[in-house]
Amino acid sequence: MKKQKNPYKLTALPAWAATLALLAWLVYDGAVKSGYSWEWSRIPAFFFDADKGELGPLTLGLGLTFQITFWSLLITFGLGLFIALARLAGGTVLSALARIYLEVIRNTPLLVQILVMYSVVGEIFSLSRFWAAVLAVSFFEAAYLSEIIRSGILAVGEGQWQAAWCLGLSTPDTFRRVILPQTGPMLLPPLCSLVISLIKDSALVSVIGVYELTKAARSLIAKTYLALELWLTIAVVYLLINLAVSELGAFLERRLGASGRAGRFL
Amino acid sequence: MTGGDFISVERIYKTYDSGLAALKGVSLTVRRGETLVIVGPSGSGKSTLLRCLCGLEEIDAGAVVIDGQVVSGDARLRDKMRPELGLVFQSFNLFPHLTVMENITLAPVRVRRVKAAEAEKAAGRLLEKVGLADKAGARPAQLSGGQQQRVAIARALAMNPRVMLFDEVTSALDPEMIGEVLAVMKDLAAEGLTMVVVTHEMGFAREVGEAVVFMDGGEVVERAAPAARFFDQPATDRARQFLEKIF
Ligand SMILES: Nc1ncnc2c1ncn2[C@@H]1O[C@H](COP(=O)(O)OP(=O)(O)OP(=O)(O)O)[C@@H](O)[C@H]1O
Ligand SMILES: [Mg+2]
Repeated sequence: MKKQKNPYKLTALPAWAATLALLAWLVYDGAVKSGYSWEWSRIPAFFFDADKGELGPLTLGLGLTFQITFWSLLITFGLGLFIALARLAGGTVLSALARIYLEVIRNTPLLVQILVMYSVVGEIFSLSRFWAAVLAVSFFEAAYLSEIIRSGILAVGEGQWQAAWCLGLSTPDTFRRVILPQTGPMLLPPLCSLVISLIKDSALVSVIGVYELTKAARSLIAKTYLALELWLTIAVVYLLINLAVSELGAFLERRLGASGRAGRFL
Repeated sequence: MTGGDFISVERIYKTYDSGLAALKGVSLTVRRGETLVIVGPSGSGKSTLLRCLCGLEEIDAGAVVIDGQVVSGDARLRDKMRPELGLVFQSFNLFPHLTVMENITLAPVRVRRVKAAEAEKAAGRLLEKVGLADKAGARPAQLSGGQQQRVAIARALAMNPRVMLFDEVTSALDPEMIGEVLAVMKDLAAEGLTMVVVTHEMGFAREVGEAVVFMDGGEVVERAAPAARFFDQPATDRARQFLEKIF
């Protein structure tokens, strides 16, 4: 295979630059007009304090954001798959429970769920703030993931089930060897959006005092009053992380497509 | 002579959730080593019958007896019997994410617990038999319809089923590919495999069918053996009308 240039990147680069420049100018102009004095020079020290030789609060917060994301992703995938399968087991108690779970999670604000997880569930099971945060985010995203997986499974044709049945494959084997491998590549784009949502939604756990990126920025603002600089900085950090996730997703999609493995299902 | 029956269907009824009665008291038998052809107009319940045989559909009443055991209504026995009936579909239903070789070896390895190397050897022989020895590494999407259907036959054969069920396996094929698939089926019939063949290929039915069952409106209207007798002298008016429309 010859290397292929991705035309998207070539055209997107000037567009990105122009958009960011415009945004920067708007913020700058607005700040100047309202008499805001910029102190960008203090920002790098919040990432790495060269004088003390230690990591700054934003880096530590980012680390915690990554940890929350990592654990939440793991739990979200396990739980999401389980709920999807439970929902598909039509007419059973399990599928009814899964349905109720789904409705509760999707029809209440994540913020409220986080607070309930921390002050009610966390209290009962003596969860730390960190794990309360991870569980709240996981339960929330798993509800959405289960619907993504379920629709992916349903999109695999009836004939595949019938063929597997007639060959004598067990239900677990049918899922593992026949259905899920076809569902996987189909799910890549929505999964990518889900990971991005998860990273962004993790900012909400700052309400229960978990020192992730957003909370770290808020505390710094309370101390230093560098509100615009800090908000803009963490916005850019989130943006960069999620652009990286998108790129990774697009890369995987190309890889799966190129290998021919279920390529036509993408 | 019932000792010779491998499959015996006894007055089975099947009504779909939609309220449509697809099978209305169908009875028939398939003898060991026999090639039974089922013909009948569209919607007469032929596919439904095959699906009831291999347990893809639950029947409402009656009994499906396979090898002397009543499998209908007995989930465990039916599961045990599932690999013994190989069904080939009109729409192939190959696994698109697997290679031809993987399609064929998946079930023997997972269900029959055959060692991978052995399964591949056996699959190689089957591919040779259906004339596709050079396609082991291909994916279904890279094959023509006729080739895909021959892989599907090989995949079903790999389980060493005791009976093969064919549901209009040439109906979705371009005319020039029908022959290659029918040739494979003729070979199997000649080897003495027990086969139930639903088909619209009347020439094939006449030549290969040791017995013919004519279905209409969810019922068996007529059974004849050998097949040629049905085509030359149908015993019922409904069969005569059906044959007149076709020829
Ligand atoms: N899953 C289903 N749900 C509801 N009705 C069905 C279903 N499958 C088949 N039917 C109906 O049952 C009747 C028998 O269908 P079946 O597919 O068994 O006929 P057939 O003899 O195989 O016809 P064809 O030659 O067109 O394949 C038809 O009227 C069909 O519309
Ligand atoms: Mg049919």
